[in-house]
Amino acid sequence: MKIMNRKRVTYVVVVALAIAFPFITPDPEFWVSSGGTRAIWLGVAALSMSFLNRNLGLMSLGQLFFSGVSGYIVAISSVNHNVKFGTSVPLAILAGTLSGVLIGWIALKTKGVYFFMLTLAVTLGLYSFANQAQEITRGHTGINSIPSPIIFGMDFAYVTPLYYLFLGIAIVLFALCKFLEKTSFGIALKGVRDNEDRMISMGYRTMPLKMIAFVFSAFIASIAGVMGVFYVTNISPDSVGLIRSIDLLVIVVVGGATYLGGAFVGAILIAVFEAIIQDFTQYYVGATGILFIVVLLLAPQGLMGITAQVRARRAKKAGASA
Amino acid sequence: MTQFIFTFLNGLTLAGLYFLVASGLTLIFGLMRVINLAHGAFYLLAGYISWTIADKTGNWLYGAIVGALSLGVFGTLVYVLLLRKFQYEELRVALITLGVSLVLAQAMLAIFGGEYYQTNIPESLTFSVPIPGLGLSYPFFRIFVLILAIVVAIGLWVFISKTRYGAIIRAGVDDTTMVSALGINVQAVFIWIFFLGSLLVGFAGAVGGTTNSFGMGTDGDYLLFSLQVVIIGGLGSIGGVAIGSFLVGVIGQFATGYFPTFAGIITFAMLILILAFRPQGILGKKQ
Repeated sequence: MKIMNRKRVTYVVVVALAIAFPFITPDPEFWVSSGGTRAIWLGVAALSMSFLNRNLGLMSLGQLFFSGVSGYIVAISSVNHNVKFGTSVPLAILAGTLSGVLIGWIALKTKGVYFFMLTLAVTLGLYSFANQAQEITRGHTGINSIPSPIIFGMDFAYVTPLYYLFLGIAIVLFALCKFLEKTSFGIALKGVRDNEDRMISMGYRTMPLKMIAFVFSAFIASIAGVMGVFYVTNISPDSVGLIRSIDLLVIVVVGGATYLGGAFVGAILIAVFEAIIQDFTQYYVGATGILFIVVLLLAPQGLMGITAQVRARRAKKAGASA
Repeated sequence: MTQFIFTFLNGLTLAGLYFLVASGLTLIFGLMRVINLAHGAFYLLAGYISWTIADKTGNWLYGAIVGALSLGVFGTLVYVLLLRKFQYEELRVALITLGVSLVLAQAMLAIFGGEYYQTNIPESLTFSVPIPGLGLSYPFFRIFVLILAIVVAIGLWVFISKTRYGAIIRAGVDDTTMVSALGINVQAVFIWIFFLGSLLVGFAGAVGGTTNSFGMGTDGDYLLFSLQVVIIGGLGSIGGVAIGSFLVGVIGQFATGYFPTFAGIITFAMLILILAFRPQGILGKKQ
């Protein structure tokens, strides 16, 4: 009960801080967009990965595929065909989510490192398609100057409205993930993660369970794809390339891949890191790579897991000396 | 008809290159369960090194030898320093190698810049051979790549399934403890496998850097090709790599030649289709 309360207090404090952020940050012009909005967008993308890893034990690099599908649909339909966002955004999210059924059908037959490789190949496949299919995607140049959405007369081209829109989306999706984990579906899912054979022998049909979880994560990733289009205002093959995939992976692993909050902790860290290092952009990729390797070598549970790791090590030492 | 034959030959010789690239990946995985996702970066690094040496010495073969050997040493260092401790945590190892590929990509960009490079074909091999019955000719060097791939394939197969060293390697993978008890240093065996696998991709980088141009982004492309090849053929099987390379190379070339816009999608659809029926790949063992 005590832990429950502490958790609830943490959530309230984090949300309050997030709401106050545009008013308390120094240099809001820069930090709200390059720090806050960016971190929330990346955090939602990473959340789709964390959800799957935490509840099914599967690390997927295919999330960028779903983001790419929805992002490209919004970009192409609004820039090339003048389709209104009211139509294109729901359609794009639906298409991204449904593509999860196709990928899931194949990928969920595999596990562990096979699943990881297969989903990586899926994303790289979209990258090469986006590069080759110039008539559709404009190839390497990508689709630029995508207009920003106007909802109820509010123009989201401005920094602060976009920040609050993203924050709202992130809170709703995070709460939805937490809620799903508490339902009987979420509990069955953890059973599949820990011992699929036992779940099968108990009479569960595990494939539909895994499929629903996978498609749900594709749904989150599709939303992140649309958020990316509105935040960056362009989309190109690099938006779904190898470096971006690894970026997302770095966020998840550095934050803590078995914690939902880890997605946002990692995203904030990476967004701040990017913002600080942006005068030295040529070193960014290498610096993230080194950070990633160091975290994997020393703290594989990520930042969220450091306290647990330290506690476990202390307990082990105490046990050894006793 | 001419286009058909040329596309087929291009596909076949490209399959030879894919085999050289992916055989190292599958060798290391098949024997050690370690998946090296810096494989594409290794390929590109070897391309740069071979290009530099060939450019300085004017000798293609020196470039290829130095490229292959330096990658062999580099790969071994990565294994010993970063991976060995976690060898049995498959996913963690895969993630670390992705980190290595990021650092490598950055370093190579800093040194070689964003331009594209291509090593010159050795002069003695620049001739073309006539295709009988068509009155056309085909560059010999591309056929040479295919021959190299076949030689490497047979060599690997003989080494692993017919020699004493191969037997030690296979035994060391099946039961590390037992083989150690027989007085064989299994750690040394693993180091040699990693050396050999990296040497292969280094050699592939030297050869592929001569038939195709390379530069920023090539690492991702060849990582994709290798993954497609081993996923289709079945991870860990040399025969599977041969089949996978053939399919990805030939079908990829036909797709690029006849439906350029959808080339990526066609290869991808093939991959999905094969996995739908055989999730472990064509020659892969059940997981």
